[in-house]
Amino acid sequence: MIGAKILLVDDEEIFVRNMAKLLNARGYEVTTALSGDAAIRALSEQLVDVVVLDLKMPGMDGLATLKEMQKLDLFTQVLMLTGHGSIDSALEAMRLGAYDYLTKPCEIDELVLKIEGAWEKKDGAEQKDMMDKIQKVVESPKSVFEVFPRKNIEEKEK
Amino acid sequence: MTAAETNGADDFMPNADYRRREEYRKFFRRFVLLTLVSSLIPLLLVGWGINIHYTKFARNRMIENLNTEIDHHRKIIELFLEENISKLKLIARTHTRDYLSRPSNLSRIFEMINRDGASLTDIGIIDHDGRHLAYIGPYDLLDRNYAQAFWFQQVMEKGIFISDMFLGFRREPHFIMAVTSLDNGDPWILRATIDTEAFRSLVENVRIGKTGEVYLVNSGGIYQTTPRFHGSIMEKTRFPVAESHAGIDFRLWEDASADNGNTSPRQVICSVWLQEPRWLLVVKQEYDEAFDAVNHANRAVLIFLHISGLSILIVAVLVTRHMLAMIRRRDMETDRLNEQLMQTSKLASIGELSAGVAHEINNPLAIISTERQILLDCEKQTPDLPPEFRAQINDSLSQIDVQTRRCKRITHNLLRFSRRTTSIMEPLNLNAFVQEVVDLMEREANVNGVKFVTDLSKDLPTLVSDASQLQQVFLNLITNAVDAHNEKPYGRIDITTQLSKDEQGVMLCIADSGSGIPPEVLDKIFDPFFTTKPVGKGTGLGLSICYSIIQRLGGRISVESSIGKGTRFDIFLPLQPVSGGELAEKQ
Repeated sequence: MIGAKILLVDDEEIFVRNMAKLLNARGYEVTTALSGDAAIRALSEQLVDVVVLDLKMPGMDGLATLKEMQKLDLFTQVLMLTGHGSIDSALEAMRLGAYDYLTKPCEIDELVLKIEGAWEKKDGAEQKDMMDKIQKVVESPKSVFEVFPRKNIEEKEK
Repeated sequence: MTAAETNGADDFMPNADYRRREEYRKFFRRFVLLTLVSSLIPLLLVGWGINIHYTKFARNRMIENLNTEIDHHRKIIELFLEENISKLKLIARTHTRDYLSRPSNLSRIFEMINRDGASLTDIGIIDHDGRHLAYIGPYDLLDRNYAQAFWFQQVMEKGIFISDMFLGFRREPHFIMAVTSLDNGDPWILRATIDTEAFRSLVENVRIGKTGEVYLVNSGGIYQTTPRFHGSIMEKTRFPVAESHAGIDFRLWEDASADNGNTSPRQVICSVWLQEPRWLLVVKQEYDEAFDAVNHANRAVLIFLHISGLSILIVAVLVTRHMLAMIRRRDMETDRLNEQLMQTSKLASIGELSAGVAHEINNPLAIISTERQILLDCEKQTPDLPPEFRAQINDSLSQIDVQTRRCKRITHNLLRFSRRTTSIMEPLNLNAFVQEVVDLMEREANVNGVKFVTDLSKDLPTLVSDASQLQQVFLNLITNAVDAHNEKPYGRIDITTQLSKDEQGVMLCIADSGSGIPPEVLDKIFDPFFTTKPVGKGTGLGLSICYSIIQRLGGRISVESSIGKGTRFDIFLPLQPVSGGELAEKQ
């Protein structure tokens, strides 16, 4: 999906820069973060559709970052990047709710394919959520303020 | 075994083997010796005790028997003599000399005495001058004068006299009894010759066992009766006559001058002195016969001791041998475990290292890969490039791609070798599984002129194991087996499956007819990164991966090889997965 917002998280600066360049060239809007903390900060500041997250990072590693993201309760989908040595961790991440994983080094086409899949899933989930909310509002119009808090609406309008 | 010894065993394997054999031998000797000493000594002590005790007991019994015997004979002899002397006394005291001097009177008395069986040979009356006044008997002795006879003086002095055996006038061994009596203050003598035959038969007819004899000797050591063996009456005995002693004397005597070899010189001698005359009654028996019972018992004890000793020896040897076999088996088991442990820990540490290296290399590889793609993107977006330059760029970029993929394959293998994965255990039919892999490989093998020969046991039970990991092992081994035929135009690969001997698992054997593995590298083939293939062809991880997979599945893999003939891998797989004791797992 052209224009989807991607957050790239990896401690390898050059890798992140190159990846961003490649994804930009393919029409994605890319934000980068060099650590788990930075990624969480970025997520709370802006809306992101898909996060590409490296498992092995100094400080907060991929799994911990993933758990933190879950707490934010977003529709954002997460793609894990891993070396072969940590496939078990990747599987663990999928159990925790990550969309899929990729082994490094990876082909850009492969990555794009997975990003598309993740975006579709995110989009589907978002639409389903929206439908549920609308259903709720239709059933009891009073609850419109609970379902769509003011802040959320403002963001939508923006 | 201490650590130092283990290390020594590694450094000098044949030496250690020899030393261990020596140790076994030492142990064997020591144990058998100990068993023998600890069981034979009490046995010998008991045997000895029984022997001493019994010998004493039997000896006492025998001596008692002999004592009873000799006492009995003494009583008989003394009774005989006493009876005869009493008769003579009675005659002398109840008749006058003049009465008895008449031959008809004396003859009547003589007949009366001998009526109940002959006991006197002759009888005579002698006056104080030694003249024969009357004589009844078979000899013509009436004109003899006994004044000079050795007994005459003695009887005149003592009143009663019993002589030793002597030849006398008649030149025949005999002995006499004489008593004195007084007629008006004039002494006279009643003398009688004892029937020697009757007397001697009292003694000589006694039989004690085979070698026992009874005889009489006088104080001068002259036989008074003929002994059963050696010597006869009136001869001097070889047996030293003891000093006069009271009661019964018992002794052992070595007959040093025994002239014939068939009698044992050792004798048991029991003797007692008669009251009157001073004759020694001797009961003599060969020691061996007398102590036959003792000897018999001793022999029995001896045989018993020998049999016991022998059986203890046999049992000790057998038990020790059995124990040694057990110890040897356990030692071998320990060796095998040690070897396995070493291999495992080697793999573990190398695995850890290679995982780290692979991971670190993956990151730069990822960057190289992205750089290539950026260049590729740029190349596509730049339409006005010189065609040669574009061709070169495309060429280089695709080469970069090939090489990154190669690197990726290596790191991929490295990580697979070391990675921890949870095995997915499922029941599987090994034969069908093997057949699948063989089918998969057959085409490639046929190209190389190699054919598969499978001998799969039909009654193989279902195995619970990890199919994908096993597949990798088989593929690796079969690929190696096929590659081993590179220098040969054709060959065969035998694959057999069978139930293991203890029925706890399955034995799978893959044997090729390839070039074989040199013995000096045979123990390195399971080490990671060890390869004989040309650079770039193999990572040297295939067999390490096989080894660690089989280990993880609770099995064993071993290899045999001979140069030019081929290599054979034996794999044991347990029927049920073994929990615990697996390869130390790591992150």
